Amino acid sequence: MCFTQNFWSLLISGLANGFVYALIALGYTLVYGVLQLINFAHSEVFMSGGFGGLFVMDQLVGSRQPHGAASVLLLVVGTLGGAAAGGTVAFILERVAYRPLRRRNAPKLAYLISAIGASYFLFNIAGKEFGRQSANIPTPYTNGTLFHVFGAQVQTYYLVVAGVALVMMLLLDRLVASTRLGQGIRAVAQDADTASLMGVNINRVISQTFVIGGLLGGAAGFLYGLNSGVVFTMGFTPGLKAFTAAVLGGIGNIRGAMLGGLLLGVVESLGVSCIPFSWQDVIAFGILVLVLMVRPTGLLGERLGRSA
Amino acid sequence: MAVPAGVARLLRSQDFRRLASCWAIGLVVDVMTGAAGSNTAPTAGLAADLGHPRVLVFLALGTVLWLGLTAYGRRREQVRARIQLVSTNASRLMAPPRVRYPALVGVLVLAILAPQLVNVLLPATKVFWQQVLVDDVGIFVLLAIGLNVVVGFAGLLDLGYIAFYAIGAYVSAYWTGALPVQPPFHLNPFWTFPMAVAAAIVAGVILGAPTLRLRGDYLAIVTLGFGEIIQIVARNLTSVTGGPQGVGYLKTRTVNGQSTVVARQLTVPHFSIHLLGINFDWTLDNVPYYYLLLVLAVGIIVAFRLLENSRVGRAWTAIREDEVAAEACGINTLKYKIMAFAIGASTSGFAGVLFASKNGFFDPPIFSVQLSILVLVFVIFGGMGSIVGVIVGTAVLQVLPQSLRHQFPQQDLFIYVGALLVVMMIFRPQGLIPSRRRSRELGLAEEGVGGADAMGAPGTAP
Amino acid sequence: MLESRVLKLAVPLAVGALALTACGGGSKGGTTAGSKPTYTIAYEGPLSGGNQQLGLNMKFAVQLAINQANAGTTFGTLPFKLAFTSEDDQGSATASPAAAQALIQNTSVVAVVGPAFSGATKAAEPYFSAANLATVSPSATAPGLAQSGWTNFFRVVADDNSQGPADATYVKKVLHGTSVYSIDDASSYAAGLAGTFDSAAQADGIAVTHKTVPGTTQCQAGTGNVQEYSAVAITVKTANPSAVFYAGYYCDFALLAKALRSAGYTGQLVSDDGSDDPHYVSQAGVSIATGTVISCACQETINSAGYQAFAPQFQALAGFAPGTYSAESYDATNAILSVMKGLGASVTRAAIVAGLHASGFSYAGISKTVQFQADGNYGGSAVYMYKVGSDGKINELGLISTLAG
Repeated sequence: MCFTQNFWSLLISGLANGFVYALIALGYTLVYGVLQLINFAHSEVFMSGGFGGLFVMDQLVGSRQPHGAASVLLLVVGTLGGAAAGGTVAFILERVAYRPLRRRNAPKLAYLISAIGASYFLFNIAGKEFGRQSANIPTPYTNGTLFHVFGAQVQTYYLVVAGVALVMMLLLDRLVASTRLGQGIRAVAQDADTASLMGVNINRVISQTFVIGGLLGGAAGFLYGLNSGVVFTMGFTPGLKAFTAAVLGGIGNIRGAMLGGLLLGVVESLGVSCIPFSWQDVIAFGILVLVLMVRPTGLLGERLGRSA
Repeated sequence: MAVPAGVARLLRSQDFRRLASCWAIGLVVDVMTGAAGSNTAPTAGLAADLGHPRVLVFLALGTVLWLGLTAYGRRREQVRARIQLVSTNASRLMAPPRVRYPALVGVLVLAILAPQLVNVLLPATKVFWQQVLVDDVGIFVLLAIGLNVVVGFAGLLDLGYIAFYAIGAYVSAYWTGALPVQPPFHLNPFWTFPMAVAAAIVAGVILGAPTLRLRGDYLAIVTLGFGEIIQIVARNLTSVTGGPQGVGYLKTRTVNGQSTVVARQLTVPHFSIHLLGINFDWTLDNVPYYYLLLVLAVGIIVAFRLLENSRVGRAWTAIREDEVAAEACGINTLKYKIMAFAIGASTSGFAGVLFASKNGFFDPPIFSVQLSILVLVFVIFGGMGSIVGVIVGTAVLQVLPQSLRHQFPQQDLFIYVGALLVVMMIFRPQGLIPSRRRSRELGLAEEGVGGADAMGAPGTAP
Repeated sequence: MLESRVLKLAVPLAVGALALTACGGGSKGGTTAGSKPTYTIAYEGPLSGGNQQLGLNMKFAVQLAINQANAGTTFGTLPFKLAFTSEDDQGSATASPAAAQALIQNTSVVAVVGPAFSGATKAAEPYFSAANLATVSPSATAPGLAQSGWTNFFRVVADDNSQGPADATYVKKVLHGTSVYSIDDASSYAAGLAGTFDSAAQADGIAVTHKTVPGTTQCQAGTGNVQEYSAVAITVKTANPSAVFYAGYYCDFALLAKALRSAGYTGQLVSDDGSDDPHYVSQAGVSIATGTVISCACQETINSAGYQAFAPQFQALAGFAPGTYSAESYDATNAILSVMKGLGASVTRAAIVAGLHASGFSYAGISKTVQFQADGNYGGSAVYMYKVGSDGKINELGLISTLAG
C-alpha cells in the first residue's frame, strides 16, 4: 500500500493534527446541537485563540528556553490565554451577530449570512491590527524527539497537543454529562421549547455553549500556532476541515466530533503519500459530499440530546 | 463599597445599555477606520486609535446615535406612520403605467448614456471609470442577477457561485484556442457563449442533483467545497488549463539551445462580428464592451422578470415560503431547485465568457471563494429576490470602494463588507431595494409563519 | 413593473455615485512648472498584501532615483522635471489591469518601472503594449513574458530560464548532489521556475522528484493546508535526497523548513528569490534557517561605490535598509532616465521604447550594466547565491557561475 512505508510516522503526525481538528470540531458541534446553526465564524474564534496565546507567550517566554516544570506551567498558561481569547470572541459573536437575529425569529439564511459577515469582519480586522505577516509563538519547550514508537519519532509537540486536547475533551465530557450546565445544554439541544418550559434559561445556556466552544477552539488555536505560527488567515482551512470532521462524526454529537477529528487527521496524513498534495483538498471535499449524501447523520449519529 | 441603588438601577436600565452599545459601536468604527498595527507592534494600531483624542470624536458620534435612537424609540409610531404615508403616496404616484413606463425608459436612457456621462463629468480619469463600469459593475451585475435567482428566487445559499464563472471562462478560452490543449477548430468568442452556458448548466446539474436534497446549511458548505474544487482543478491540470500560470498557448521549437516561437495565442481574443456586412471588432476600449454588456443584461433581466412571474417563479415562491406545503400541493421541489441552480449557473458561465474576452488573460487565483462571497454580498445588500435592488446594490458596492480607494487602504475592504453583512441581517434583511414579496415573507417569518427560504427542515425553531 | 423606490433611490444613487467618483480617481495630469515640462515615472507592484515588503523595496528605490535626478546629482541639470506616482496591483492578475489603466490614462506618465510580479505583468502587458508605454520590470522573471511579442516590455534581471539552470548547476557542482526533491507552491512564478530547474537538473544527471505542495492559508496567497507539511516532511525524510529545492515564497518556505527539520531531514535546503527575505529567518527561526542557500537574479551586497552611496540615501527616504530588488529598481529607473536625457525636452512614450531598444544602449548601474536583448530580456544571465549565516543574516556567496567553477 502506498502509505505502508512511513505508516507509523504518518499515523502519529496525523493524530496530532487530528487532536487539533477535534478541538475545533467540538465548537461547531456544540453550537449546532443547541442552535441547529453552522457557526461559520468559529474559524475566527480559533484564530483569536492563536493570537491570545501568542501575546501571552510573547510576554512570558520571549526569547528564553524554559525546561521541565516551568515548561508545563507556561503551556497551561498559554492554553488558558488562547482559550480565554477564544471564549471572549465567541461570547461577543453570539451577542452581536446571532442574538439579535434570534430575537426577531430571523430565517436560517440570515444566520448563515451574518456568520459569514462576522467571519470576514473578524479576520480582516485582526489582519489590520496585528499585521499580515505570520508570527511565531515562542515555544515554552524545546521541540525535539522524545522517544520512538515502532520507528516513528514522537516529538515534544505531539505530546503537548495530545495532552492538552485529551484533558480538555475529558473535562468537556464530564461537564456535559454531569453538571447542571451540561444538562441544560442537552435539554436545549433536544427540544428548546420544552426546556424553557422546564425552567431552563435558553439565552444563558446558548451563551454558555458558545463560550465553551470558544474555549476549546481558542485552545486549539494556541496549539496549532505553536507549530505553524499565527496569522490572520489561519482560520479558514482548519475551520473547514474541522467542520468536515464534525459532520463525519455526526454533527451535534460530542464524541462524534472527537472521533471525526482524529479520523480526518489520520486519513489526511496517510493520504498524503498516496495522492499528490495538490489534489488533497479535492479528496477531502469529495469525502464530505459523500458522507453527506450517503450517511448524513455521520458515523456516530446526530443527537447531542442523547448521552453525550 | 456599596453602589447607591439609584446608580445601580441607572446602569441596568435599558437606556444606559443602549448608550453603552452605541459607544461600543463608536469605538469599533474608530478602530476600523484607524491606524493599522503590525505583528511586531500588535497594540500600535489600537493604541493609536483608542489612546488618541480621536476616540472622543467617535464616542461623541456614538452619543449622537444614542440620542437619535432614543428619540426614535419614543416617537417610533409617529415616524413609522409618516414613512408609511410617504411610501404609500409614492407607490400610488408610481403605480399607473403612464408614470411607470417613462420612468423605466428614463433609467434605460441613463444607462445608455453612462459612458458619455463619465466622459463629461470625469474627463481626466474617464478611462479608469469606464473600466470600472464594465469590469466591476457590468460583469458583476450579470453575476449578481444570476445569483439572485438562486438565493433570491429559490432561497438557496450558494457559496461557490464563481465556480461556474470559472467554467465559462475556461470553456471560452478553450474554444478560442487560448489553452495549451487546442480545440478541433477555433471559434469566434460569440459562438463560445452556448458552449460555456451548456458546460455551466451541466456542472450546475451535476452539483445540484445530489446535494439539493440536503439541508440548507449543508448545501452551503457543499457549494463552498465545489467552488474550491474547481479552483484547485484549474490550478492542477496544467496541461489543460495552463495551471497556475494562467491561460495562454505558446508553442516553441528549440534548435541548438535557441527557442523560437512557432505558434502563440496568449489571450482569449476579443469579440468581433464579421457577418452580413456588419464588421465590428471589440478591442481594449471599454465603451463597446459596455454596450455589449448592456444589451445582454437587458435581455437577461427581461427574461428573468418573465420567469419570476411565470409558473416556475410561483413554484419558487411556494418553495421559499413553505416547502412542505409546496410538496403537498404537488410541486416537485427538487426539480425546481435544480432549475434555479442551473439558471444561476448558466448566467455565471455567461458572465465568465464576457470576462475572458474582456480581460484576455486570467489565472486560477482569480476564481476564489472570496469572489463568490462578494457577489453574495451584492445580492444581499441590494435586496434578494429583487432584480432592481440587486443591480443598484452591485453598482453602489463596486463604485464606492473605487472612489474611496485613495482614502482607505484596499485591503480593508472586507472589514467593511463583513460589518455590512452583519448589520444588514440585523436591521434590514430585505436589502436596500427589497422585492415586496420578500419583505412580506421576512415579516411573516419573524412572526413565526413560514421559513422565508428553502433552507431548513420546516418547523425547526432556531 | 418598476417600483417607486427605484426612482426615488436609483437615480439619485447613480448621480451620487458618479459625483463621488469625482472625489476619487487620483491621477495627475501633465503639468508644467515654469517653462520645464513635467514627466512622470510610475511604479506598479504589490504595495499591500503579503508581498508588500517586496513592493516597498522597489517603490522607494524608484522614488529615490527620481529625487536625485530632479536634484541634478545623477544626470546634471535636465531639461524637464520629474514626478513619481505608484499603483498597487497587489501582485495579482486580477488587480493589475485596473492599475495599468490608471497609469496609461495619466498622460504625464512616460514610462513604468514594473509590474513587479510575473502574473500581474501577463495581465497588464496587453494594455501597456497597446499604449506603447515602456515597462521595465525589476523582478518579473517568467520566461514567457519576453516571448509574447510585446515590444514595450523590458526587464533588468535574468529570467527563470537562467535562474533554474543556475540552481541546478549549484546543486550539481557545489553541493555534489545526486538526488533532489523539487517542490513548488503552485503559484505562477514557482511552477515556471521549478520546471526550468527540473529539466536542467535532469540534464545534469541528478535524480529529480517533483512535488507540488500548494502554498498554505497561513501565507495569504495560498489556499493549501499547512497540516500537510508534516506529512510532506516525513516523506522527504524517508527519501533523504541530497537537497530540497523549494520554488515559492518565504512564508511557506519557512513553514516547510520547520517541518523538514522537525522530521529529522538533514540535507541542504535551496530556494529562490521569493525566499530572499529576512522574514524567512524570523518565521523559521534562526537555528532552522541557518545554512539555507537562496538564489536570486538580484544583487544585494554590492561593493561598488555607487551602492555605498545609494544605501544610506535609500535608508533616509524609506526608513529601512534597501532590500531585494531595490538596487535593480534603482538601475531600471536610471536607465529610463538616461534615455530621457538623450531625448531633450520633448519626451514621448514611443521615444522611450525606441531608445531602450536602440542597439548599443547600455547604462552602467550600481548592480549591473543594463542592456537589453531584442525581446526585452536582460542582456546578461547573472544569478547570485546567498546563504543564511548563523547570525540570521542572508549573506551573498557570489555569482553561481563563479562558485561552480
